[in-house]
Parts: sequence; structure tokens; C-alpha cells
Amino acid sequence: MNTRIFGLSVSALVALAVALAAGWFLLGALGAGTVAVLVLALYYAIPAASFNFLFGSLGVFSLAQAVFVAVGAYTDVYLYNVYGVSPWLSLLIAPVFAGIIALPIALASVRAGTGAVLTALITLIISEAIPPILIAIKPLGGAIGLYVKTKANPSFWDMQFGSGVSFARMFLVLNVLIIVFMMWWNRSRFGFFVRAIRDSPDASAAVGIPTARMRILTFVIAAALAAPAGVVFAQYSLETTADLFLGGTALFEVIVIALVGGAARAWGSVVGAVVIVYVANAMSNAANGAPGIGPLTFAAVFVVIAVAMPRGLSGTWALLADRRRRAAGGTLASPPAPAAEPEARPVDDHAHRATEHDVASG
Amino acid sequence: MYLEQLLLVGVLGGAVLSLVGVGFTLVIGVGKVANFAHGAFVAVGMYLGYWIGHTLGLNPYVLFVPALLVFTLIGWGIAELFEWRGRKVGAIGELLVGLALLLLINGLLSVGFGPNPVTLSNVEMGSVSVAGTRIPGSEIYAAVFTLVVGAGIYVFLRGSRWGRALRAVAENPQSAALYGVRVPIAQRVAVTGSIALAGIAGLVISPFSVLTPDVGTNFLITAFAVIVIGGVGNTVGAVFAGLLIGVVDSLAIGYLSTVWTTLGPLLIILAFLLIRPVPVEI
Repeated sequence: MNTRIFGLSVSALVALAVALAAGWFLLGALGAGTVAVLVLALYYAIPAASFNFLFGSLGVFSLAQAVFVAVGAYTDVYLYNVYGVSPWLSLLIAPVFAGIIALPIALASVRAGTGAVLTALITLIISEAIPPILIAIKPLGGAIGLYVKTKANPSFWDMQFGSGVSFARMFLVLNVLIIVFMMWWNRSRFGFFVRAIRDSPDASAAVGIPTARMRILTFVIAAALAAPAGVVFAQYSLETTADLFLGGTALFEVIVIALVGGAARAWGSVVGAVVIVYVANAMSNAANGAPGIGPLTFAAVFVVIAVAMPRGLSGTWALLADRRRRAAGGTLASPPAPAAEPEARPVDDHAHRATEHDVASG
Repeated sequence: MYLEQLLLVGVLGGAVLSLVGVGFTLVIGVGKVANFAHGAFVAVGMYLGYWIGHTLGLNPYVLFVPALLVFTLIGWGIAELFEWRGRKVGAIGELLVGLALLLLINGLLSVGFGPNPVTLSNVEMGSVSVAGTRIPGSEIYAAVFTLVVGAGIYVFLRGSRWGRALRAVAENPQSAALYGVRVPIAQRVAVTGSIALAGIAGLVISPFSVLTPDVGTNFLITAFAVIVIGGVGNTVGAVFAGLLIGVVDSLAIGYLSTVWTTLGPLLIILAFLLIRPVPVEI
């Protein structure tokens, strides 16, 4: 039987630790070109995980997650340039800022209604509104953005590394931390609350779940998860501009990666990111770096996913795993796969609910 | 004088936004599909006009009727796609398809026409002078087109049996079905009509617009603003909302700094959403 620590299965934790260690050493052995691709993939995986966290647990389709990455990046570069605050410290400060900024956005989307489409449109408007605001704020460098002040002999605390390997490793660690957090969340009381809210807002309010508060809390946590990615990415690219994070393609790439990965498993976003960034890079290389090929590949892969597997790679995996387990005569041990749509859930919904209930009370 | 010019430009620009918004309000109200690619079809129409004018050297309006037919066919295909995904996966499936189409169209336009903004400069359609402003003929045609189409849609929705069926579906699909309205057909008609309208609107405004591959996203946001201000499924409200946005936009460009011209409309939408939330679950 699966032993658990704080609700986390030990075998999953061991698998994660092995993956982390393998990734850590593998990154050291790869060529610079591959590392650059992986840095990008592992960076995108974080806002994508933040999106999947919201979408998977609460069913909120937020296009604003890139905003919180930008908040992280601007926080880091501004604090470092003006006050000399170490980026390592910014890793802790940025989530707080992102959470504060997420609060009114969460309020607006909760107030406007619960429909996924409406939330998607509102958050799209917010992400389109942020760049002009950022550009209008003079200390943040306007349209040019901010450049990290580089040092000739940077110390460890300046987080300026010559090679991409260190950044890739940092992104890897951040990803693993987020996966662990999401695994814990799914098994915790909060996880059950938000899934109940997603499946039936009225019923969960009736049994005493503070629905509005849980919605806002989840939104704020998702924002805090996305912010550290901005800090590290700003240090990696040594600059931060509104376009870098919120430009037409950058904004949607996060969503595409998240949906390709799927929200059914915590690792979905990492796998989705590595697959899609690798494919887009390969296609771009095949076209001799012709402009627009990368985004077009993203779009093409997304079309395939949207039509063929709307729950993403990890959603399909979860579906197959459950089918296999049922064929073997076992019970559904995995946490209920967040279905894309409550009405479209499998028929054996009662089995899911029963498991949830047992774990919640036990 | 300056104010009058700004108002005139605003009304002309707003007329087109109304048209895009009328389509969007139909697709959400009747089709119950939030087609994220709605604005992208405007972009397709614009680039089609650019291609006709720039590559073929023709007046884009010459190919108005064939383009309308093509957009209607494409629209029907997309409507089937939405219907299929909606049946299989629900509203999220439709959302994904819309988003995927938006990105695909943005990507294709960017690869096909380059990422930089382009304008169609070699099409001359004369001009008229109103209130001291020289207004290009194409803008007059666009405004007349909007007026005719807007009035046509109004008469269709109010006067015809089909229009009544569409309004019934917008009001309450279940009851409409009980009364014998073929709801799936009505929804397909709404989606098809909105896409055809969006594409043709794009073709009509192509001679006097700046074209960028991701212009579709901007039109999506404007269309959303139109339904937020005008009400879901309310075509008359959509027309007024479009005009309002056009005028506000034009005044903002005339009197305020550039920050406000991009930010202003977005803030208006957010304010409207907070004061008067959208009544329908979408």
C-alpha cells in the first residue's frame, strides 16, 4: 500500500527526487544550445503550472498568469537596480507583490460571474491593459523596460551566472517545488474545497464552504506561484520589458503549454513545456529561423490538442491509467482527474466522489 | 471644429465596431458559443482585402460577393466544429477550439504577410469633404455598408420567422425547442452569420486600416466590450455600444496622451463589468 507523508505518496516523492537529481546532472552534460531550449521550456512550465493550478482545481480559465510573471521580473530588476536587493530575496518578495496585485483581479473575476469564458475574456483584457500601464510608469523604464545592472565580478548573491545551466537548474527546482505543492494541495482540505466549488458552487456554499474566499485565495496563490519564474527569467535575460512577458505570442504560449500538458497531473505543465518548446524550436530551425514559425508551430500543436485530446497529455494519461486500473479490478486510487468540464465527466463519478470523501474525513 | 472632426471620425470608426459587435452578440446570445476567433476572422478579411488590393491590384470591394460566399462556407465549417466539440467536451471544448483558431490565424497571417504592420495605399476611391475634414471614399462605403447590414439584420431578426426563431433561442433554448425551433440549426446559422459578418467587415475596412497579424485579438476585445456595454444578444445595444466605443476612442486620441487611448477602452469594460455584471453564464 502507498505510504503517505502529509498526504503525499512516498513513491511519488521518490520519483520526483530521482527526476530532480537526474535532471540536475543531465543539464550539466548537455550542449549550450539544448540547455538554452530547456531553460525556456522550464521557465514556461512555471506560469503554465500556475494556470493549470487554477484551471485544474477551480476551473478558472485565467489568461492573466503571464502578468504575474511580469510582476516578478519587474519587482526583481527594480529592487536590484535601485536598492541592491539580492534576486534570491526577490524570489520571496515577488510572490507577495504578485499576490497583492492578483487580489483586485480575483475580485473582479469572482464578482463578474463563474463562467469560464467570461473569466477568460476578463483576464485577457487585464493582460492587455497591463503593458500600457507598465509603459506609462516612468521609473519602470517605459517601453524599453529595465536592464539588470551587470557586475564584472558578480557574487552568488547577484544571481548572474555565465552559463544557462545554473538557470535551467533553478527553474527545475522551482518546478519540482510547485509540483510538490500542487500534489499536497490536491490532497488537502483546500483541494477538496475548490474542487467542490468547481463542480457545484451552490452545493458547496450550502455545506458551508466559504466559496468566495476560497476562489480569491486560490487565485492569489496561483499568482504567487508564477512570480518566481519572472525573477529568475529576468536574471537570465538580464532585462525585463512588457513585451517579453505580455507580447501577443508570449501571453498565449503560456496557455498553450498549460493546455497541452493538461491539468490532470501536477507534472503536466513540465512535460507539455518540454515537448512543445522542443518541437517549436526544431521547426524554427528547420525553416532556417524564418520569423513566425515558432508561434505557428505552437498554434498548430494547440489545434491538434484542442481537437484530439482536450484534457492535454496528462489528462489522457490519467484517463488511460484509470482505465487500466479498472481493468485490473482495482479502485480509483489516483486523485480525481480534473475534467475539462463538470458535465462531461465520466459516468463513474460516484466512485470519484466516494474516494474524495473518505480521504477528506480520514 | 476639431471636436466635430473627432466625432465624425469616431462615428465612422465606431460603425465598423458595431458590425463586429453585432456578430459577436449573435454568436454568444444565440449560438451560446464564445468564439474567441471572432476577431481573427476580421483580421482574415482585412488581409484578404490587402492581398486583393496589393497583389492583384484590384479594388478590394470588387470581390465582395465571392468573399461573402467563401466566409459563409468557412463559417459553416467552423460552426460544425464548435457543435462537435461542444457536444463532446462542453463549453471548455468550444473555448479551446476558438482559442486555437485565433492563434492559428495569427500565426498564419504572421508567416504569410510578415510580422510588420502594413497598409493598403494604392486603392483610390475618391473622397468627400465634411465639416472641413477630408473623408476617404472607402470610409463612406464602410459606413454605408454598416448602415445597410445593420438595418438588414434588424429587420431580419424582428420581422422574419427565422429571426424570431433566433431570438427565441437566445432567450431560452429549451422552450424554443419545445415550440419546434430547430435549435442546433439556429445556432449554426448564428455562428455562420457572425463569421461571415466578421470576415466581410474586415474586407470592407481593409483600405483604410493598419494591418498587423494579431489585430484579431484587439477586435476580440472590442467585440467583448460591445456585448458588455450593449448586453448579450441585444443587437441594437451592440450598435450603440460600438458607436460609443468609436467616439470615446477618437476623443481619447484627440485630447489625451497615447497611454489612455489603449488603456481607456479596457478600463471602461472593467468598470462596466463591476457595475453591471454580464447576466448570462458564459
